[in-house]
Amino acid sequence: MVANLAIYTIVHQPRRLKLPAQPIPRGASIEDITRCIFDEPLNERYFHAIAATCYYPATRLFLELVREQGLHLSIGLSLSFARQAQAWDPELLDLFRALVAEENVELIGVEPYHNFLFLLDLPAFVLRMQWMGDEMERIFGKRPAVTDTTEMAMSATIYNALDTAGFRGVLIDGRRWVLEWREPTYLYRYSDEDPLPVPLPIKRSQYAPRSRRSPQKLLADNDRESGPYLLARHTQLSDDVGFRFSDANWSQYPLYADTYARWIAGTPGDVVLLGWDYETFGEHHHRDTGIFDFIHALPAELERQGVTTRTASDVIDRFSVPGCAHHLPLPIFPTTWAGAGGLDFFTGNSAQQTILQLMGYVYGQARLTENPGLVDLALWLAQSDNLHLIQWFGRSGPDAAVSSHFTPREWWELGADRIIHEQQQVYANALQAMEPYLPARLVRRSRRRAPPKPNRRYRREAQSAAGTQFSASVPGR
Amino acid sequence: MMIDSDGAISPANTIFVLLSFEGPDVYSTAGGLGTRVTELSEALAAQGYTTHLIFIGDPHKPSLETRLDGRLMLKRWSQWISKYYLNGVYDGEEQKLYDYNESVPYHVYNEIVRPAAAEGKLVVVMGEDWQTAEAMTRVSDLLHWFGLRQKALLLWNLNSLMSLHRINWGKLSYVTTICTVSKYMKHRMWNYGVNPLVIPNGIPSRHLNPIDQDAVKRLREISKQGDPRRMFLFKIGRFDPDKRWLMAIEAVARLKYSGYPVTLFVRGGIEPHGADVLKRAYDLGLNIRDVVAHRPNLEQCLEAIANSGPADLYNLRFFLPEEFVRLTYAAADATLANSGHEPFGLVALEVMAAQGIAVTGSTGEDYAVSFENAIVTETDDPDEIVGYLLYLRRHPEELERIRCAGRNTAEEFLWDQVIKNLVGKLEFLARKQNIVLA
Repeated sequence: MVANLAIYTIVHQPRRLKLPAQPIPRGASIEDITRCIFDEPLNERYFHAIAATCYYPATRLFLELVREQGLHLSIGLSLSFARQAQAWDPELLDLFRALVAEENVELIGVEPYHNFLFLLDLPAFVLRMQWMGDEMERIFGKRPAVTDTTEMAMSATIYNALDTAGFRGVLIDGRRWVLEWREPTYLYRYSDEDPLPVPLPIKRSQYAPRSRRSPQKLLADNDRESGPYLLARHTQLSDDVGFRFSDANWSQYPLYADTYARWIAGTPGDVVLLGWDYETFGEHHHRDTGIFDFIHALPAELERQGVTTRTASDVIDRFSVPGCAHHLPLPIFPTTWAGAGGLDFFTGNSAQQTILQLMGYVYGQARLTENPGLVDLALWLAQSDNLHLIQWFGRSGPDAAVSSHFTPREWWELGADRIIHEQQQVYANALQAMEPYLPARLVRRSRRRAPPKPNRRYRREAQSAAGTQFSASVPGR
Repeated sequence: MMIDSDGAISPANTIFVLLSFEGPDVYSTAGGLGTRVTELSEALAAQGYTTHLIFIGDPHKPSLETRLDGRLMLKRWSQWISKYYLNGVYDGEEQKLYDYNESVPYHVYNEIVRPAAAEGKLVVVMGEDWQTAEAMTRVSDLLHWFGLRQKALLLWNLNSLMSLHRINWGKLSYVTTICTVSKYMKHRMWNYGVNPLVIPNGIPSRHLNPIDQDAVKRLREISKQGDPRRMFLFKIGRFDPDKRWLMAIEAVARLKYSGYPVTLFVRGGIEPHGADVLKRAYDLGLNIRDVVAHRPNLEQCLEAIANSGPADLYNLRFFLPEEFVRLTYAAADATLANSGHEPFGLVALEVMAAQGIAVTGSTGEDYAVSFENAIVTETDDPDEIVGYLLYLRRHPEELERIRCAGRNTAEEFLWDQVIKNLVGKLEFLARKQNIVLA
């Protein structure tokens, strides 16, 4: 039975678009393009609201549990959240820094903008995740060795990209159709390093840290004897709290900490990984549901049941010994922790498919401009949230309830169809706004010699003269 | 519920906020609206009212400028967008419109109404034309949200019939009092299910300043071109079919070929219809001279024309200083302001102020009474202009009477008088809204 528990939670805030779409001035600076695309006052309002109900109380609670009850915690923070905290509530960011600084707390990697770059440009995704490590170290003082992805998406290619990026562990949602007969309570790997009958030449990766050593020596120095370990989120136990905690119609409602701890202890396997959105605490389940009291009581109840909390790296250390980590074939199509577990939660309706296409066009065009500011803008526009919050399109009832909750209230004034239209218009506007920055156009524009600009009234008269063909008097008339 | 309201609207208890795309900057002026809001805001401030004018200003000028001892505040808006659109106020219109709608309402609430309400003052917010319709509804909603709707009177004024399909009339008429500039416009707006109050345009008092009679004589001599029988006519305005330029050109040609030579001064704009107008003049056999000059003063204008040589039509292709325009109104035998659609007809009123003879159309020119203070054409038949001008020629005593009566009428439309009309209506509206004025 399980005697080890890893708790993982992710903190993220989207950078919401400005709807209705704001027309962008021709030739606008990147700063002005950004100003037209994102609704920062709206983002700030939501940030402060959620900080009050969730971030502050939850973080203070976790800090207390870590310091006083020895709770081990794994936490991921998107750069999207960190930037907002830096801008609008530095004190909150410091609180998170204090939590991450604790020895029992492990910082887990997250795709920095919480976007779907891995669907658009896998090599760029690798570089991005490496850069994320640098940024996290700069902001929080720790460099992630284990990483999550956007919406816990995982597939064979995503795994390979994260392996290329150098991560020691990655998270996967323990869906039945991925695990098949396996349980999520074991440590897994996907990579296959068994020798080949016909060896392949060793090639130095452009993504590896620069070194003058030979590839063989690099290998010898690399302490990763295998690809990243896969930690599988226990879907049912996680969702018991994440989704069902305050559902009065649930058969197990109300859920108490001792009951939950018993369920964990009674689960066969080595380790349970629980994965929660941070807003579970105070936002999805308000304070008056008892969620904070539940979490507060949980460590003691776990101890009573003989369950020890661990960080993700602790789990890898403990169970990566030979014979303990098992092979898990990964699917070609990504699995996620959202909806039914596939990417169709984000790409299942026509509106989402259109947005995903537009994300690709915007990203591709940004790359054509070779302008880092525009590429960065395109990465923001590729946030998964822009697909998540239109998941309701074409649906109704409980199917639509979750994502419609995430759609900003202020957008509903536009009506459902107009939300979709305006969201697409944002991307169309961004595409148009990028065009002046295309290098070919910049060069051609610079070559056009502009005539010396006359006084504006003279320009008007010049235009008027162009239309006046009959100004001279005709002899004889 | 009708209740007694104490007090009256005065500078001590009322602040004005004018919302308009156009304004006093050269960048912001495209037509009559810029002139209207500039002059109205200055007249209100001159009467002592604290007045805010929020408009799409020149991106290179200060965002806030105060005049008239701080009573008039010019707030140049959307400059961060205008810097990308240098061709004037309506260049980049959609981009500016979004920004204006998004940012002006909160500014009006937070920076103007909220502090004014704390001081017990009433705020009158007046929006101009379709571009401010959405902003006005948002101002109303915002004031309502913050419990300050009762501290403000909201009026929205229509000066032209452009883009009315973009207005949510139901919402606008619910949250504002709709106004317009003439009975003609009022009746046209009935088609949209609204019944606006009429508050006319005005003219500044400088338009009543005496005109140098020697200069008048000189200009008349120049226009005669040595022929005492020559009639001197003037037409100024955008080259817009509504202005009935072709009717005017036809009338001039018919006069010429009836044995009544005409000197016509033409000052149009950059509109493509100008090519149609001048082609028609050419086809009708009128001699056309272009007159060009570079920012001339009055004397230079006269010299430029005098040195241009003989012609029937002088196409004045330079900016006309106001002094010259008023001189021409006074000197001309008539100024043809014979529009087929004119919301108000400011030109004719200015002609009357200069003791000129205005030939108007019969739409928005409420002030014009034919053969009393102006000549009113009622058809698009050029012969109507011809007939009336020849009548005046035969009855010179009528000319003088009409000139004097025109000036008297113009005096009734000074901005100070118009503001009385406005204030009267505001007090009525305040009473309807149960606003108690201190």
